Amino acid sequence: MATVIYISNTPPDSAMQQWDDRLPLYRQLANRLAGGLLDGDPPEGEAMPSVRVLAAQYLLNPITVGRALQALNEDGLLDNRRGLGLYVRPGARSALLQAERQRFLRDEWPQLQLRLRRLGIRRDELDWE
Amino acid sequence: MDNKNQQPALIDAKSLSLRYGSKLALDDISFSIPKGRVVGLLGHNGAGKTSLMKAIVGLASHQGSLSVLGLEPQRDRVQMLESLCYIPDVAVLPRWARVDQLITLAAGLHPRFSADRARSLLKRTSVGPRDKVKNLSRGMVVQLHLALTAAIDARLMVLDEPTLGLDVLSRKSFYEMLIEEWCDGERSVLISTHQVEEVETLLSDVLMLNDGKLVLDISLADIEERFVALGHDPQAAEAIAAAHPLLRYRQHGQAAALFDGAPPADVAALGQRLRPSLVDLFVALTRRPELNPKQA
Repeated sequence: MATVIYISNTPPDSAMQQWDDRLPLYRQLANRLAGGLLDGDPPEGEAMPSVRVLAAQYLLNPITVGRALQALNEDGLLDNRRGLGLYVRPGARSALLQAERQRFLRDEWPQLQLRLRRLGIRRDELDWE
Repeated sequence: MDNKNQQPALIDAKSLSLRYGSKLALDDISFSIPKGRVVGLLGHNGAGKTSLMKAIVGLASHQGSLSVLGLEPQRDRVQMLESLCYIPDVAVLPRWARVDQLITLAAGLHPRFSADRARSLLKRTSVGPRDKVKNLSRGMVVQLHLALTAAIDARLMVLDEPTLGLDVLSRKSFYEMLIEEWCDGERSVLISTHQVEEVETLLSDVLMLNDGKLVLDISLADIEERFVALGHDPQAAEAIAAAHPLLRYRQHGQAAALFDGAPPADVAALGQRLRPSLVDLFVALTRRPELNPKQA
């Protein structure tokens, strides 16, 4: 997969403004939609919502939404069915899960480990349930 | 704008000026708006937003050339209004009228108005066909107005401060309806506002007016290319200031600077790149009238 996708699960309808200033908007929407796919929304093999529906839901320009869907398509998560639109590609969820696990182990776990060590927290003090 | 393989622009202005007596409201501005765009017209009060919109809909005479839908707005006004719809900043709906009466009225007034379309748009809202305008909240009246306007099969919509005085939920439903029901990739809409933060993500392009002059005409995608915002530590402030940014500001408690074009690499290395926001550009490129006394 070309791009590692950061999953953020901010609820979509919370306020007028829901974007940060670190990443381009289309990338932020792509990440958010990828977060949905990981949760099975929409499930594999089902159609993605249309550009217009997403644009109205997230209050984004349709061009931005188009770029976000394009990015997910390039990441191999969607199928473009001619005349029908974009569908969630079978296997998209496991591919995302895989990428996200790798990202966690590479980026987040070393920092978490460091913090646990600094706080002197031992394995048996953590709730593994 | 590059016109290769493109259809003629919906609006094309060249050296457009507009004066009220000795006051120059629009000062030699040129721009074009192609199809399928959501264009924000930004500026402080008195910057010329309403004057420009009036010229576009044929309500004000001007110097220079202005073509709207390939027509001359004042001369060809009747024909132009078949494919252009407009909500002025002073728009009111008659308080005594019922919603279904307004639909009948609009159907009689405009050849491309669809009563069915208006009724289906209103189903999105809490406005009922038997409601009287005087019993509707301000937000509902604006929704009704948008539904009546969007039921016209036009190619260009002009909205002058459409959400002024509305609460946040009403503004949100207004823009939801606009995006979902109007913007189809072919039609364009020109919206004036000074609630810059709110429309930023909706826009494809921005026109920014300051004191009658067009100070910015750019697509949102190009903003990220052209302008560079750098968040930086306080220690870097002096070096950053020496590189002459357009604006220095604070964002989430962090110092930041906005550059037109890439700053020198050694300056860029002092901070981290942020997405430049339209509000910061607005502050950098426009001056409130009271802070900008006329120079002799």
